[in-house]
Amino acid sequence: MSVSGSISQPLLRARGISRRFPGVLALDNVDFDVHPGEVHALVGENGAGKSTLINILAGVYQPSGGVLEVSGRPTVLPNPASAQQAGINVIFQEFNLVPDLSVAENVFLNREPTRGLWIDWASMYRRTVEIVELLEIDLNPKTAVCNLPVAQQQLVEIARALAFDAQVVVMDEPTAALSEVEIDRLLQLVRSLANRGVGVIYVSHKLGEVFGVADRITVLRDGKRILTAPCAELTEEQVVSAMVGRELVHTECPTRHPGDVVLSVRDLASGQAVSNVCFDLRAGEVLGLAGLMGSGCSAVLETLFGLRGMTSGQVTLDGQLLLIHGPRSAIGAGIGYVPDDRKRAGILPDLSVMHNITIGVLERIRRGVLIDQRQEQDIMDNYGKKLSIRCRSASQMVSGLSGGNQQKVIVARALAQDCRVFLLAEPTRGVDVGAKAEMYKLIDMLLEAGMAVLLQSSELPELIRLADRCIVFAGGRPCGELARGELTQPAVMALATGAAIGQVDFKFLKPDSRAQEAVCQEEV
Amino acid sequence: MNGLSGLLLKLWRSYSTGLAVLVVGFVLSLLTPNFLRPENLLNVLGNASIVGIVGLGMTLAIAAGMFDLSVGSTAAFAACITLSMVPQYGVLLSVLAGVAVGALIGLINGLIITELRVPAFIATMSMMAIARGSALIYTDGRDVYLFGYPDYKVLTRPLWGILPMPVVLVLAILLVLALVMAHTRFGRYILAVGSNLSAARRSGLRSSLVTWGVFAVVGATAALTGLIVSAQVLTANARLNVGLELSAIAVVVVGGTSLTGGRASLVGTLLGSLLVTIINNGLNLLNVPIFYQQLTVGVLLLGALAISVGPDFNPMTYLRRQG
Repeated sequence: MSVSGSISQPLLRARGISRRFPGVLALDNVDFDVHPGEVHALVGENGAGKSTLINILAGVYQPSGGVLEVSGRPTVLPNPASAQQAGINVIFQEFNLVPDLSVAENVFLNREPTRGLWIDWASMYRRTVEIVELLEIDLNPKTAVCNLPVAQQQLVEIARALAFDAQVVVMDEPTAALSEVEIDRLLQLVRSLANRGVGVIYVSHKLGEVFGVADRITVLRDGKRILTAPCAELTEEQVVSAMVGRELVHTECPTRHPGDVVLSVRDLASGQAVSNVCFDLRAGEVLGLAGLMGSGCSAVLETLFGLRGMTSGQVTLDGQLLLIHGPRSAIGAGIGYVPDDRKRAGILPDLSVMHNITIGVLERIRRGVLIDQRQEQDIMDNYGKKLSIRCRSASQMVSGLSGGNQQKVIVARALAQDCRVFLLAEPTRGVDVGAKAEMYKLIDMLLEAGMAVLLQSSELPELIRLADRCIVFAGGRPCGELARGELTQPAVMALATGAAIGQVDFKFLKPDSRAQEAVCQEEV
Repeated sequence: MNGLSGLLLKLWRSYSTGLAVLVVGFVLSLLTPNFLRPENLLNVLGNASIVGIVGLGMTLAIAAGMFDLSVGSTAAFAACITLSMVPQYGVLLSVLAGVAVGALIGLINGLIITELRVPAFIATMSMMAIARGSALIYTDGRDVYLFGYPDYKVLTRPLWGILPMPVVLVLAILLVLALVMAHTRFGRYILAVGSNLSAARRSGLRSSLVTWGVFAVVGATAALTGLIVSAQVLTANARLNVGLELSAIAVVVVGGTSLTGGRASLVGTLLGSLLVTIINNGLNLLNVPIFYQQLTVGVLLLGALAISVGPDFNPMTYLRRQG
């Protein structure tokens, strides 16, 4: 395939960039460049140096060594403003949007068109509409950003990049919070940006996306550049092993032997969010819940854990009818929940690893009014070993752990509480490839021990790897169940979007076919 | 963080307030010979203990991610009730009743927060006015005198002829609360709730119970502070301890407990109250008008906040950024 940039001069080139932090060499002599009209993917595990590199390109950090060249000229970017002036726009994972301002105000933040002392609102709205039309997206310039779903907030960031006349757009994990359909549209947009001659640096560890959208891939590991090559010359396996530095054993789902029904749910409903849910969950079985954002699948977990009021229905566990008033009664009944947002709802960041694990069982391990420290340490040792939680010591703050290990801590907390039914929401969101494989092994281990798992995930490959069967949700109701053999990406998406199989093309636009493709169209 | 900078950070976090106390004390001992006189030092210790007692309670509230703005009013109300009870019920019973009233006001604060779902800031700000108003109504705006009952002075009199009673009380409370924070469920739950409320709830904690307990403790310590202040002059009125909430929060923050919750430094709070008291004492000894003392507390609070913003403040990066 022809990479348009191979002849042209790179828009942005990093030569031998290093960055030292106290005690860490975050980047070690890294070369990186992006050409006009090219999507260059930057992949690597957490801590590989991706964000350091981005922050250097954004003018947030200064390199300790090496040179940045913008359009061939050596350039110093002392601050983010100078990076923007140089035509480099970074869309960080945490958006830089002012929630209460409108789309147009955000797009032109700090560069509002003015007439004398006053903001020229008419021209601001007009120019926003122009950009929105250019992007062929549906966005009302006057809506307050906080009223937009995450996917659309992302579009505002992209619109802002265009308004800045950005030549290079850096996107940091742009799809982390998006559903499958939204991701599809975003990737098409990325292609159309590149078609306009913009150089896109696309940071992600979702390889499916990367292969769908990128022209070239650069892999970083431990601060070093491991490889840079055109997409077409690489396989996913090659990239993964470059990322983790070893051949990743392909973890096939082991055969399972589901036991008796543990959890049985009939006609469960919670207000408008979800209704009509019926299923039986067996010991040693994973039941997947799939659906787009707001389809109701996460509401099922929240209702079962008592975070949402149950407006109708019956839940029985081991034949016992459950009355769930809140997390406490759910846990008491043996239901554990691993929330999708572990920072916001999972970890207790100021507490140690051990205290995070034992927080839910202190009532059990007391000696008089005091906590029995021996027992507490035993629990820590037990689960620390069982789940191989990697920490310096039991007293290390949990906030210092990697995402994958924090996730294990939350699972350990529920295990210590003797939970037998696990509600897992996005169990591998924001963890890297290696940690993901470990999480899958951990889930397999839970199943072997006779636990039952209800798994909600927006990553279809994850559902396909883990789930024995899968209920697909749309519009707050279950709209179909797929058995293990029928569980394929198109089948799930067809149910989730309400379309018949074959009508929707789920393949991302492949780089070589992109010229003829029309830009994205509105969907359901 | 690792190696030298990590060690420095740890030392800085643990000892910066103590260091400041030593530096200010050293400077004052050079500026005025009166500072190091035993009476003055005992006086400083006593005053530091008075604000330190309510400061210890406030440390728990701040560790749980909340504030109590009503401590000054609670102190005044409790003192008025206790002093009016002493002639009839004797000192011990009246003091216990006063502390119980404080705990009850705190409990009401907690109930308002959890049952009416009012933020702690607003709930305790309302209670600030309610308790102060109740004290005014109770005393009809007059002073409650306790002349002829020197027994009540037990709250300020030196124990065994040396250590002022407030110092003994504050150390006892420190011991108890330190044990609570390190080794009991209640202490662990306070940190959990302050660190991440939603995560704490999802772990099965009854966060309401924690809130009630925390505010009851704060109320009790506030009342005790009010009683000691009233014992110094054997008088109480509804205007007692105006502005105590500022000093109480100030000593906690100066002592290094982060306002974001999840951490508690009880010893730091006592060092913080020592620092604030020493500075005020120094200004007194140097004949600086009393009006400047309030200003000093404000500036100190601001300084402490500015250098400790967020839990991850690192003096090394701070210095590097300046350089």
